[in-house]
Amino acid sequence: MQTAIAHAHDAHGNAAHGDHAHHHDVSFIRKYVFSTDHKVIAKQFMLASLLFLFVGGFFALLIRWQLAYPGEAIPLIGNILPDTWVSDGAVTANFYTQLLSLHGTVMIFYVIIPLAVGMFGNFCIPLMIGTDDMALPKLNMFSFWLVPPAGLILLSGFFFDSGAAAAGWTGYPPLGPSSGAGQTTWLISLFMIGFSSIMGATNYLATIVNKRAKGLQFFQMPLTVWALMITAILIILGTPVLAAAISMQLTDQYLHTSFFMPDNLLVGARDNSVLTGAFIQKGNELLEHKQLLGGGGQPILWQHLFWFYSHPAVYIMILPGMGIVSDVLATFARKPLYGYKAMIFAIMAIAFLGFVVWGHHMFQSGMNPLLGTTFMLSTIVIAVPSAIKIFNWLGTIWRGDIRFTAANLNALAFIATFIIGGLSGVFMASAPVDIYIHDTYFIVAHIHYVLFGGALFAIFAGIYYWFPKMYGKMLNESLGRKHFYWSFVFFNLTFYPMHILGVGGHMRRIYNPYIYEFLQQFQPMNQFITFAAIILGFSQLILIFNIFWSLKYGKAAPRNPWQANTLEWAAPAHPGHGNFDTDIQVYRGPYEFSVPSRTADFYPQWEEPQGQPEEVVAKDSHLRQHA
Amino acid sequence: MSFDVSKAMEWAYKDMLTFFPENVSTFGSELDQLFAMIYYASVAIFFITYGILIAFIIMYRHQEGRRAYHYHGNNLVEFTWTLLPTFLFAGIGLWSDDAWTKSKSAYRVPNPDVTIDVLGYQSGFGWQFRYPGPDGVFGKKERNQISSANPFGIDSNDVHGKDDLVIISPGGARPVEAHLPINKNVLVNLSSNDVLHSFFLPNFRVKQDAVPGQWIKVWFNGTKAGRYEIACAELCGSGHYNMRGLLIMDSQQDYDAWLDQQYKLKKPETAPAADSTAALAVAPDSTTTKKN
Ligand code: HEM
Ligand SMILES: [Cu+2]
Ligand SMILES: [Cu+2]
Repeated sequence: MQTAIAHAHDAHGNAAHGDHAHHHDVSFIRKYVFSTDHKVIAKQFMLASLLFLFVGGFFALLIRWQLAYPGEAIPLIGNILPDTWVSDGAVTANFYTQLLSLHGTVMIFYVIIPLAVGMFGNFCIPLMIGTDDMALPKLNMFSFWLVPPAGLILLSGFFFDSGAAAAGWTGYPPLGPSSGAGQTTWLISLFMIGFSSIMGATNYLATIVNKRAKGLQFFQMPLTVWALMITAILIILGTPVLAAAISMQLTDQYLHTSFFMPDNLLVGARDNSVLTGAFIQKGNELLEHKQLLGGGGQPILWQHLFWFYSHPAVYIMILPGMGIVSDVLATFARKPLYGYKAMIFAIMAIAFLGFVVWGHHMFQSGMNPLLGTTFMLSTIVIAVPSAIKIFNWLGTIWRGDIRFTAANLNALAFIATFIIGGLSGVFMASAPVDIYIHDTYFIVAHIHYVLFGGALFAIFAGIYYWFPKMYGKMLNESLGRKHFYWSFVFFNLTFYPMHILGVGGHMRRIYNPYIYEFLQQFQPMNQFITFAAIILGFSQLILIFNIFWSLKYGKAAPRNPWQANTLEWAAPAHPGHGNFDTDIQVYRGPYEFSVPSRTADFYPQWEEPQGQPEEVVAKDSHLRQHA
Repeated sequence: MSFDVSKAMEWAYKDMLTFFPENVSTFGSELDQLFAMIYYASVAIFFITYGILIAFIIMYRHQEGRRAYHYHGNNLVEFTWTLLPTFLFAGIGLWSDDAWTKSKSAYRVPNPDVTIDVLGYQSGFGWQFRYPGPDGVFGKKERNQISSANPFGIDSNDVHGKDDLVIISPGGARPVEAHLPINKNVLVNLSSNDVLHSFFLPNFRVKQDAVPGQWIKVWFNGTKAGRYEIACAELCGSGHYNMRGLLIMDSQQDYDAWLDQQYKLKKPETAPAADSTAALAVAPDSTTTKKN
């Protein structure tokens, strides 16, 4: 590793790197903890988020146990959990509500977004555009170091008397602000993680616009970089709105500003809060004189603000995955990506339309039904670019020479699950159909098909694909394939039946469905899902084992193990701070696989054309992309 | 701990559409048809795309000596596969819009034969129903008079309010039982005193959030007498799961008989009955009432 660093610097000792010239002197803390190296930060995001993946997964299994066998003690751990969480070994209704709220929050804000954006954004962008680091490395470091405290603040709610946040990952008022300190931790933690996102995104944009390698045009960038760039724009435009909404809910909770609270709204739980102190007292005084309490707010306003961020946020979670899948598929089909420009325009269309569809989460909210019509139409339109992407991926593997590496299996699985997730989206996009399936397990099935089946499988593909460049070691392929098959099979067995539950009318977020006669028939199916979910959860340990096993015993990775074309593979096998040991000049697009005139079936972006003048080649490849 | 394999695997061998609970409302069948239409289209798209995906995976798997086709794509193809889904989705959109206005839009609520008020409440978790009483006229809602004893805020100065009938849970864990007549257009004015709830009638394909500070109109027309469950579909606290209620759909005679019986039970001089466990109540905002 030291040699790699030294190597990178010998060849790269230009002025920009002057301050990094003495790497071997850098302290452990600066190198591994408060590092400004984008690759180290990417690894930090990866480790933190994988940790959170298990935390969120653990919550999910507790939820699943309750749905399968309500009131029966949780096996093994039921009797060691504290009394405030369980009674007779089974989770209480109150704790259940906290679990489902934190499951969603952790998975979305602490797993998928940091993995898709934080990890791949950091790792891929500088390497794939052929530069030494981010434009603003310190900002980058701060963007990671907000995550651990934010996560701890969120989880700390479990240790309050009044418990953690319990208003769902959507935190709808009046339930949100009228609950206790748990909700406060939720608000603060989301504010921090949003801040971290914005810092990261600003950096990505600055880096892509300003630091591309010599000759790299926008329309020569790989899809991963394009997707991350457009994701960064979504973050910068959307997250401030979330921050505003959070601040408003926070002042509603403590200053009685009533942005979201209508007249004379008196709900109890405020007194439970450990943080409210003086405000509670003031509030109670005010309660005596109802009129003084303000009011005039609108609960639905929160939903507008929240979904104005959170719908684009679902694309923040999936777009990087779409980019990764495009690159992985092309590499392992040994084929150019089908419709490179169409793919980019489809991402742009999704990103643009993503800002005008938020109301599809609110069809039944009490919003004017005329608005429902508008949002239904815009939502249906957004399914078109999603379909275009599917077709182009199929076009990419058409007449390819497909290698079934662990990375590619995950990428192919992404297509398969995204088809189902997109189709279920069309059901819900139809507002009248959504009347019945809204807030049922049909939605839960959709969410998991796009987020677990979609985003997470793409993230797995990315981990298998770039691990060699991250750690200089190959991941074990056979373990990788096992992890894939177990995950894929049990993912479908867990989440496909949830569509059926939804059709049966099974509401989401309920502690004991069997109170209802019409849901009693679904208990065996819920048990089936629970067993599948347990196996799915434990299958993820294969990935963790593989990572640690390969770090120690894995084969050393060559520079370009997959014979891919993009610039990160020009860097040394295990690049140090500064990344490249050669000067990078880009000659062509990222997907020149199986060019007929060449013996090798790949043609790296950085490889100097032989015998032909540069311009001709550049122009030629430009033309071919238009064809 | 028990496990019934054949029931647990029902999702695998039964048609998804058979899982719908029986539909007993007029527009419900139209919504079900729309679901079925999208379902069949989805099944077709699923088999086509999966067929292609699997065929390509098998046909173009790596083989020694094979070389992939160097091809960047074709604009005509892109154009075609943009237009095809656009037409399909546009068709779904147009059909949906009609069903949507019919079932949801406040402007299309047909002349109601019966009008009631429904409140979701969080402390104790349940629903309360209000009928206009023998005079057939609701007492005015007066926001300042809302209290846990008078959750609907019925104006004590309004004679029409004296006979209003409020139906609550009979107490304990027993669900509230409300009655309504079949083959009548029922208009529900829906609200809440505390947090969001969602008034869900699975058999009627009705779902609408109850929003404090706002009276929202919901309508349906039940086609079959019977006993149906009412559920809450919006997270409203730890007792959210426990908001079960019952809706009894009667013939007109049975409904009238039930109403008479309820009027007799209610002593004329007492104030409107209310659940003592009901939440501190909220004043319905008169401006939003008008808007709906
Ligand atoms: C074809 C594209 C898609 C369409 C038409 C679509 C449509 C919808 C609709 C209408 C809803 C609201 C349903 C309801 O609450 O009643 C919804 C919910 C949701 N969608 Fe999608 N969606 C699509 C793709 C995606 C993607 C790609 C993601 C994420 C990566 C996603 C994530 C979600 C999530 C997380 C929710 C649930 C939020 C909640 O209520 O907790 N969707 N989708
Ligand atoms: Cu959405
Ligand atoms: Cu509820």
